[in-house]
Order: sequence, then C-alpha cells, then structure tokens
Amino acid sequence: MKHRRRTAAWQLNLLLFPSALILALFIIYPALYSVYMSFTNEALVGPSARNPSLVGFRNYLRLFGDAEFWNALYVTLVFVVGSAIIGQFVLGLASALALTRRIRFRSLFSVFILLPNAAPEVVAGFMWISMLAGGDNATLSRIVMFFGITPPDWLQVFPLWMIIIVNTWRGIATAMILLSAGLSTIPQDVLEAARIDGARPFQIFRRITLPLMLPTIVLYMLISAVSTIAVFGLIYTLTRGGPGGATELVSIYIYNQSFTAFQLGYGAAVSVIVLLISMAIGIAYVRMMAVKV
Amino acid sequence: MQSRILALGACALTLLATTSIAGAQTIRIAEHRQARIDALNTVVPAIEESLGIEIEVIEYPAPERDYLTRLLTELRAGNAPDLFTAPRGQDVADMVASGYLAPITPDIQAWTDYDQLFDVAVELVTSYDGEIYVLPQMLNVQQIYFRRDILEEHGISTEQPATWADLLDRAREIREVTGAYALLFPSGVTWGGGAFGEGFQYLMAGTPTPELAGEDGTLNLRTDGVRDALNFYADLINDDLMPVQPLLGPEPWVIPKYEMFPAGELVATTCGSWCYIYDWGPESRNPIPDVTQAVGTWAMPGQDGGVHVMVDIDSPWAVNADSAELELATQVLFEIGSVEAAVAYAERLGNIPARRDAADNPDFQALTALVPVHANVENGTFLRTAPGFSVLAEGVARATDALLRQETDADGAHEILVEYVVNFLGDDAVN
Amino acid sequence: MPTALSSARRRQRHGHSFLSYSTLLLISVFCIVPFFWIFLSSFDGDAQLFLHWPQQWTFDNYTRVFTVEDGGLWLFNSLFIVGCATILVVVLAGFGGYALSRSRAWWKLPFLYGILLIRVLPPTALVVPLYTILLTLNNWESAILRPIFGGLTRDIMRWTGFIDGYLGIILVLAAMQLPLALWIMKTFFDSVSPEYEEAAIIDGASLVQRIRYVLIPLALPGLAAAGLFSFIFAWGDFLMPLIFLSSPELQTLPLGLFRAFLRVNEIDYGLLAAISIIYLLPPAAAFVFARRFLVATFTGGVKG
Repeated sequence: MKHRRRTAAWQLNLLLFPSALILALFIIYPALYSVYMSFTNEALVGPSARNPSLVGFRNYLRLFGDAEFWNALYVTLVFVVGSAIIGQFVLGLASALALTRRIRFRSLFSVFILLPNAAPEVVAGFMWISMLAGGDNATLSRIVMFFGITPPDWLQVFPLWMIIIVNTWRGIATAMILLSAGLSTIPQDVLEAARIDGARPFQIFRRITLPLMLPTIVLYMLISAVSTIAVFGLIYTLTRGGPGGATELVSIYIYNQSFTAFQLGYGAAVSVIVLLISMAIGIAYVRMMAVKV
Repeated sequence: MQSRILALGACALTLLATTSIAGAQTIRIAEHRQARIDALNTVVPAIEESLGIEIEVIEYPAPERDYLTRLLTELRAGNAPDLFTAPRGQDVADMVASGYLAPITPDIQAWTDYDQLFDVAVELVTSYDGEIYVLPQMLNVQQIYFRRDILEEHGISTEQPATWADLLDRAREIREVTGAYALLFPSGVTWGGGAFGEGFQYLMAGTPTPELAGEDGTLNLRTDGVRDALNFYADLINDDLMPVQPLLGPEPWVIPKYEMFPAGELVATTCGSWCYIYDWGPESRNPIPDVTQAVGTWAMPGQDGGVHVMVDIDSPWAVNADSAELELATQVLFEIGSVEAAVAYAERLGNIPARRDAADNPDFQALTALVPVHANVENGTFLRTAPGFSVLAEGVARATDALLRQETDADGAHEILVEYVVNFLGDDAVN
Repeated sequence: MPTALSSARRRQRHGHSFLSYSTLLLISVFCIVPFFWIFLSSFDGDAQLFLHWPQQWTFDNYTRVFTVEDGGLWLFNSLFIVGCATILVVVLAGFGGYALSRSRAWWKLPFLYGILLIRVLPPTALVVPLYTILLTLNNWESAILRPIFGGLTRDIMRWTGFIDGYLGIILVLAAMQLPLALWIMKTFFDSVSPEYEEAAIIDGASLVQRIRYVLIPLALPGLAAAGLFSFIFAWGDFLMPLIFLSSPELQTLPLGLFRAFLRVNEIDYGLLAAISIIYLLPPAAAFVFARRFLVATFTGGVKG
C-alpha cells in the first residue's frame, strides 16, 4: 500500500509536469525576469537600451515619490471595488436570483446578459466609444436627452464612473454564472420549509440564501478582484488612461511607462509592487475567510 | 542577461547558416499609415526590378506611439525589419545611442545623389557623434497656420507678430472678437512626441538659450528659456486661448485640427506644410476650400524679436543594425531616397523632399502649396538633438499636461520636466 | 382559510414575477444597447461613429471583409490558433487539474495561489521578457533547421516558429489561459469522488487505463467548461498576437480589426463593424449554446 501511494505521487507529478513547464517558461520566468529588470535602468530606447546597468533600489525610491503611481493605485482600487465587488456582484446576483424563477423568456434574458462577456475587449471598447464619445451624438447622450437632460461629455466629466460602468457591463455574466451555481446548491426543501413557516422573501434571502452562498461569494470576490486588477485592453481602447490620468489603472500605467515612455525598468518595478500588494490582499483574504481549497 | 547572450550566439549561428545558402533575397520594410504605405508601394516594383530582389512591406500600427512601441520592441529583441523610419528627428539620437541603426556615413557620401541633398538636411542627419545613420528623404517645415479668411472678416491684423507678447496679444484679440479659440500649441501626454516636436521646440528656438543639447552630452534644462517657454503655454491655457478638453483625451489632434480648425472654431495652430495637403487639403476628411488662400502662415516670432521657420527631418529612413542583409538593405535605402519616391510621399502627405532636384520634377511642380516652401527650406531653423531627447520629449509632454489640467504654474511645470529627466538620466545629465 | 392564504401567496408570487421581470428587463437593456451601433453599422452603407438608422441597407461591408481585406485568412488563422491553444489547455489542465486535486504535496497550496495571483500581473508586464524567451527559442530552432532545409526554413518556421509562427502564439495563448483552467479542473475533480478510481485500482487498472475509462468520461463537463473559458479569453486577446505576429499570412481577426481602427482619420466604420460582428460571433455562439451546462458544471465546482 505504502509503495503504491508513493508511485501515485510520482505519477501525479508527471501529469502536472507539462503544465508546470509551460507556466514556468512563459509566465514564471518572465515574471522573475521582470523582478530582475526592476533593479535595472533597462529601456526600449536610449543609451541604457544598449548598456543597461543595475541601479539598485532607484526605481523603487522614485516610485514612492511618484504621484502618478499613487494615483494609478487609487484609480485601480476604486475601479475594482466599484465594478467587480459592487457593480458586477449586485447585478449578477440580481439576475441570478431573478432567473431562478420560472418566468417566460428566461433563456432570452440570459442570452442578453451573456453577450457582453462574449464580446472581445477591442470590440467592447469600440462599442463604448460609440456609446460615450462624440458629444451629443453619443448614444448615451441621446438617451438622456430623450429625458430632457443636457448630456455632459461623459468620458471627460465622469471618466472613472464610466469605466466602472463599462467593466460592470462586461462582467455581469461571470458573476451571474458563478452565483447561479451557488444558488442551485441551496436545497429546495430548506427554502420551502422556510416559506411554509411564513418567512418573508427578504428574510429567506438574508437568513438562508446569503449564508449558504457565502463560500461561493467569497470565491467569486477573490477571482473577480484578481482578474479586474489585470483588465487592460477594454479601458485602453476606450481612454488610454486619460483624461489626465483619471482612468490610468495600474495595468495601463505599466504599459505607459514601459511602452510609451520606454522605461522598462521602472515599468517592471511598478509590476512588482502591484504583484506584492495583490499577494498581500490575497493572503489576508484567504486567512480572514478561512477558505479551504 | 544570459538569455540575451544566448540569443546573440544563436543569431550568429543563424547568420553563418544564412550566408552559406543562397536563397531568394527578401528585404522587409516597416511602414505605417495608409497614405505612407500607398506612397511606398508606388516605387516598390521598380526597386524590386532594378535590384533583382523581393520587398515585403509590413504594415505597422498607424498612430505614432503604437508604431514606435512595436518597432522599438522588435529592435530591442533583434527581430525588426531591415528598413524602417524614425517618426521624428528627435527620435533619432536615442535610437543611435541604443545601437539600433546601422551607420551609413561612407555610403551616403559616396551616393551619386548626395550633392542634391539640402545642406540643412545633411546637417540635420549628422548625429551627435559625427556619423550619419539616417537618410533624409523628407523634411517638414513648421510654422503657425492661421485662418486668414476669419481674421480678415473680423478686421484683425494678419501681420507677422514680432514677439511672443505680440503673438499672445493677437491671440487675445482673436478670442475676444471672434469668440473662437485663438491659438493651439500641441501639448499633453497623449499627443506624445508632438508636444515637443510641434510646439515646445518652436518656442525654445526663440529664446536666448535655444540649444537644449549641451556640448558635453548634457541637457540644458535649468534655463530661464525653458521656464519662459512653459510660461507661454500657461498663458495660452489660463487666458482660455486654446482648447484644453480635447487635448486630454486619446487622439488629441483629431478634434482641434481636423474638426475645430476647418469649422473656424480654432483660428491658429502650429503645423507643418503637411497641413495644406493632409489635414485640410482636398484629400482630407474636412477640406477647407481654397486652403492656401484661406489659411495663411506666420513664422514663429522669437521671445524678444526675430522670426524663424522650423525645419526638421520627417520620418527619416534607417537600416536595422541587426539586419541579415545589411548591404542590400542599404542599397534599397538609397533607392527610397529617389526623387520619385520623395514626390510620391509629398503628394500624399504634404512634406518637403529633402533634395534640390525635386524642384525640376513635374509632379512636384503640380503641388503648388509645397513649391515655395521647398524653395525656402534652407532658411529654416533647427535645434541640435542628443541622446536623452526621447526622455526630454516625454518630460515636456508631462509638464504641459500638468499645465493643461491647471495643476501647476510655469515654475511647477519646469520642476516636473527637470525632475522627470533627472529620474531617468541621472542628476549629472541635466544642466 | 387555505384559499385565502394561497391567493395571498399567489399575489405575492405575482409581485415577485413582476420584480424579476423588471430587474431582468433593465439589466438586459443595459447589456444589449451598446451592441445596437455595431450591429446596425455593419449593414450600413454610410456608417458613422454614432448610432443612426441605416439609410441604405447593404451586405457590402461583409463582402469587403472577405474580398478587399483578407477576412477569410484572418478568420482561419484565429480559429486555428485559438482552437489549438484551447485543445492544448484542455489536455494540460485535465491532467494537471487531476494531479492537483489528488496530490497531497506540501507545495500544492502555494502553487495554486501562486498561479491564481500571477494573473494580476498585467500581460503588458510580461511582454518584454516573453519576447526575449521566444526569440531565443526561435533562433535556436532556425539554427537547427536552416542547415537541413535551407530555403524552405522560412515556410517551415511559419508553422513551427516561436516568433511570427503558429506554434509560438499557440503556446503563449495557452500559457495565459492555463492557470484559470487548472483551477476549474482542480475544483471539478475535487467534487468527483475518488471511490470510482479506488474501485478501478482494486480491479488492477493502470494509471493510463484509469484515465481513459474512468476519469475522462467523468471529467467531460469540467473539461468543456475549462475549454470554453479558454477559448473565449484567448479569442479576445489582441495584445499577444499584436506583439508576436507580423507576417500578413499570420494575421488574425483582432489584428485586422485593430489595424482598421488604427487608420486614425481614415477609419471605415462600416468595415470595422462588419469585422467586429464576425469576430464576435464565435464566442457569442459558444456562450449561448453552453450556458445551461456551464451553470451545472460550476454547481459541481462550488459544492466541492
């Protein structure tokens, strides 16, 4: 028996090996190389592109005094909380709850809600340019004008709100799928029993549905927060981080530092800090919620 | 680092392997923007025939920033095409310093058409180290373009302004009388290299300390001239003389230059000869009827007098230092320097051929808006460039961006610029 | 009494349906309004950046994608590259997820969280080192192939090259999707009771037999979910193809789209919209057909 288990462990490792190899080569190694790069003055162009040298902690020291970096962190925080934690979650939960009822056009509704998630980032970006940019001709402007409101220039006046709305739009489906899955694990007889006991729907939701769904919600929050930090193409197509850095998420800040200011070393230092922060959040989160995997 | 050495070794192996086998020779050329690609394609078949090779034109992203990003990433990795252009003159020095460009000094001096190049073009391409790395196919000539029709209609003087103060007074008068925005200087982060190339350098050229590139490889940034130039932006912005909102969005040039100027909502802007063809000419999206009459030009006045027209190399061509076909690529380079090629680009983009004999070309003579500019090109002013200019240009973009958002004054913007450059190039790189 | 109660409940039910309808209606409208513009513009002979009802309905935009532009080639390349990447992800994640689920190794937890958190690294941060690695591999390969195949090397490298070749982009896209797929499969196998396998082990089945006859049939729904997500995300990625592909023969739909968009003041919105719709259809179809079983699959995952 003992012998067999050891063989099994060896076999398991063999099964995991190809995945580990690909991850190591195409993700882990580049990530480590980024860490190394963050201690150099590597650049895409200029004298240090030919002879990069180690500069110690200079990139990091600069970063802590860089108001734009702090701004990017702040924008990202608001963006993640606004779109992933609140927007997608609330609308996703609402749709998931509404779809548990036997109502007509159920599949039509769920198709509509799934569509934004299927739209590739670039296409989604274009569609929202048409929605928001172009002054009075923008679709959203015409909608509010129909209600007699003078439309502002959306991306100039409420840039951060707009990208939160856009990202919420894109992610309702993911939340809905995961939360529907969570909802369907709640035993129907428990709900029925509560109903017979005369509990009101809101009470049922608060006392039964929500507590039973907590593990799902925790998992959803972790996954969506982590993937929202990495959102890039959607917002980049839409605003490129502007106006004046108002929508400059860290992912866009890194891109701008590395590829439009050509400072690879500094861009790498920002990546490292972002990775550290999200790891800290991730670990704290897992500890706090005591999630088991 | 190790992987780079390995890559180099592998490169060398590949090189050895390639030279031992005679295959069909292909030269790859990077080009971007439909108009430029069309221009290049008019001369490609003839070059293929005369050199007996194949040419592959690869389309790169059109916006300057995306083009540079893609090109520099490939150059750094050693995988870039054999021939490409640097978008602006200010980009060349840093590409030279990176070792991306193959030196062509002996080749260009031996070129039969070398004598046809304008002196100013040769001066412009002579690098800080005395070598030549790029072929000046085209030049751009920049000054201030204004709506003559609108000024005349409102009885505002169209005289050449004599000083910065004079220009600002004129701008204030325009704003007051017409209600339109008066004068645009490209600025802000999203305009990229334009904040420097299409604005800041005009101003610097008119200060008592025009040269930003110091003799000893440093950058002269802690001068009153730099501060005063930034103060000029601050005046334009604080007095509401230039449209600010559109400059904060992506593609900041689209609204002011392609929409507001043709509509008369913006009366004057810095621009180059390309504006007569590409921005407002018959080929553009919003053509201005009879553009050379309706739109006049002023040279840029100096801070305290004197005027100058800026001249710069436009998208100069270079050979990839890592090219497997260096010699052949250099041959193709000089074919691209032909009159025919230059005129094809001039027709579509409105820049000025860098050679004198273009004046004799009938197709060029048909471009009446460009002929006088071409004839006067030797009178142009330019600033010397040096490694570090790409950082400097980004610093100017950031400094003017802070002014656009009215977060700081000229002194604060000056500090942002100096600090940005010092952070990347070190304290001793800045004077 | 009972009748009164049930009618009260019926009223309550009606109230709920009304609430559900209005919630779903509002959310659906929010979700589909942005699609109107791109849909109408793709059939519009005079498409603009803003929404308007087409004056002249036409298929011309779609025809042009395939005649004037290389739409057919783009579509094939996208399907081929993303299809291969998806298959690769499914196979690797199937094996890897099983191993992770059954393993009791000490590094299991750090590994799982490591690959999840590494997803926060924006792809933009990885591009430069990735490029260096792929180029190194590419140069090695061409150094080996060139002496053997000579002039043919370039044609071969178009398929097996790491930079500007199918193989490289397939591997990169697969690597990007692998972490999430491993998680999905790991969670999925957690909910599959080990009893089946233990029975098979007692019957003397080897690892290969166990995989072939017990695990693959059990894992199919999970594999389909992982595959679907990988397909949709890899399909939507444009940064990697943008950086790693340059030959016209290898262009994919997002690149065609991006190029059409980046023609700055020469943008042809009708063409752009038509490419967008073509690009949008495969993942939309995949999602629509798979939505029921997705929920079912995740139900298993969430329970476990």
